Amino acid sequence: MKNPFDDFRDHPTTEREIPLDSIIQSRNRVMSNIIRGYEMLLEEEVKELVWLVQYNTVIKAYTLAEKAVKEFDYRAEDIEEFCYELDSTDKIPYLITGPAGIYISALCNYAQEEEITLKLSDLKTQINLLGYRLPVGKKVVVEGNLGDFTGIGMEGGELVVEGSAKNYTGAGMKSGRIRIMKNIGLHTGEWMMGGEILVGGRVRGLGKIVDGKVYEDEKLIYPRNYRQSNTYY
Amino acid sequence: MAQNHYRETIRGMYDFIRENLYFNRPDLEIKGERFNSALIFSLLTGINRGKELIIGEPGLGKTTSAEYVGSLLYRIPIGIVWGSEVSGHPEQTEEKIIGRPDLGKLNRGTEEVVWSNFAQIPVKIVDEINRLPETKQSMILDGVDRGNWEYLNEMIINEEYCLFATANYQDRGTNTIIAPMVDRFDVEVESRHPGPNIAYLVGKFDQKDRILRSPKAERSLQKILTSKLSYQTKLRQMEEVCDGYGEFLGKKLGIETVGLQERKAIRAEIGRLELDLDANAFTRMLLAELSFCHKYGQKRSVENCEEGCHFTGYLCREVRNCASNRLPTSIKTYSQALAWLLGDAEVDVEHIKAITPYTLAHRIQWKEEYLSAKEKDTRDHPFQIYLAKEAVSTVFNRYGEQSEHLKSALAVGYRVFNGESLEPVEGDHPVYFEIKKDLGLEE
Repeated sequence: MKNPFDDFRDHPTTEREIPLDSIIQSRNRVMSNIIRGYEMLLEEEVKELVWLVQYNTVIKAYTLAEKAVKEFDYRAEDIEEFCYELDSTDKIPYLITGPAGIYISALCNYAQEEEITLKLSDLKTQINLLGYRLPVGKKVVVEGNLGDFTGIGMEGGELVVEGSAKNYTGAGMKSGRIRIMKNIGLHTGEWMMGGEILVGGRVRGLGKIVDGKVYEDEKLIYPRNYRQSNTYY
Repeated sequence: MAQNHYRETIRGMYDFIRENLYFNRPDLEIKGERFNSALIFSLLTGINRGKELIIGEPGLGKTTSAEYVGSLLYRIPIGIVWGSEVSGHPEQTEEKIIGRPDLGKLNRGTEEVVWSNFAQIPVKIVDEINRLPETKQSMILDGVDRGNWEYLNEMIINEEYCLFATANYQDRGTNTIIAPMVDRFDVEVESRHPGPNIAYLVGKFDQKDRILRSPKAERSLQKILTSKLSYQTKLRQMEEVCDGYGEFLGKKLGIETVGLQERKAIRAEIGRLELDLDANAFTRMLLAELSFCHKYGQKRSVENCEEGCHFTGYLCREVRNCASNRLPTSIKTYSQALAWLLGDAEVDVEHIKAITPYTLAHRIQWKEEYLSAKEKDTRDHPFQIYLAKEAVSTVFNRYGEQSEHLKSALAVGYRVFNGESLEPVEGDHPVYFEIKKDLGLEE
């Protein structure tokens, strides 16, 4: 029988790509790079069996994360998308909040954009350690709540949380500014050596602060604080 | 060069009829040019050896438009065209339509057929076809379809002919045009009211009918038609008279016409015009919607698909009958003729879009619920043509969304059909299912 499609013998069998397709493909490519970097980090960190926030552990994890994120290009919105990918566990096998936060911090610190907004209010889990080593000239705005160790070891950047943060916020920060719109947990500013923490709501407890300033509802509570460490209000 | 000359000649005929004989408004826009649909389709029918059903109110020029086109395009004096028409009425007989025995010879024991003018001349006009009883419509089916006319043991075959049939809207004296007859018409058009201002002009120029008269040529032709010569000899002699009539028209009216050989050359040119890939793919998509049934394998007028089918949004859900194989032929030949007339190098989707509603209007049997839902719509065309235009427009929108995808699916279909191991392209339209059927990959 005659081929009924003979008229189309010279027509290309691949479809013309529409711009949206290439955008989606490009985004998928970037996301898979970010996820691959995170998986590499996890492969190393999983050897520790139990991930503890210790000085050496965090530094080691961040060094690995830094190495991974320098390998590919990405944009600020990809970081937010990665947070949601982490939250939906079908693509990424497991979420360990420590390494995840370190990795997201590295992504923020090495992003091309100076100001990054992360809309995380719909996340089911709260990310720890976000803002780690945020450098001078970088501003990260988070819409939603964050977990423990927010903004630790900050190096001059500005972290704005339009929500609450938990314990050890600003621990070990050297300089920069952390602005928390709502409340903050215990051990705030533990071993901080400079910079400012501004809290719009309540500060549940301060840590052992070396230097820097902490404000509660626009009132300076450190260094002029008279409260004892870990005093519960 | 010759192509341009022929085209200008045909366009000249259109302009001449529009300016002098058939006054009406343009109601069809194709590629920025405006035409009167009844006139342009009659011209395309004449060029194409097609079959046209012209509907409309009494007295709005259905028959006369066909007469003018037939007379000019085939160089037949209009008096002969008048004398060859078949009138649709209940008492019509085969002897009046096709031929009768030569009574003198019959008395002497010899059977010989005296063919009617209608059977012999290439321009066939059936006036008020829907007044012919259904049994008598069957008599002309074969002649209409293939040009072969049989009576007693004799037969003549028209090598070149076209058919124009007019039909009034339904009244007490009309019958249904039988389905096989309806399907044989390539196109249906309406001869519309021209509006009061142009209608006033029609009344002012009441001598129009005389313009194309040539009593001398009419007598010569009538003599040939009633002679006892063989049909082939008659055709040769008729051609000579017709050429003479063509010269007469040129001298008297300054209008150039075409003879038999030129008409053949025009048809050859038209036949060489290819459909581009979009026109091709769009036609396939339309045919798929008019023939596909997910539930029963294909459309059948005796089967009604149920609600809730995945393809509820497509035309297959709204129509009762299946598209016939004459439909794609009508679409292709008329689109080719239109493209030729417009001077285009190939048939594109605009030609198909313009032609297709007129090829579908009489052929689609819509479901009652669809007709009920649509009958109150505000419109400018008769209901059938309006529905067909809507249908074509809807399918065209769907085609616009997936033209590249469909062409790719057809290209993959070509390679799979030739034995390559490829996955056919999937898509959410009946045409993709039909492609798979052709590849033997039906689920």
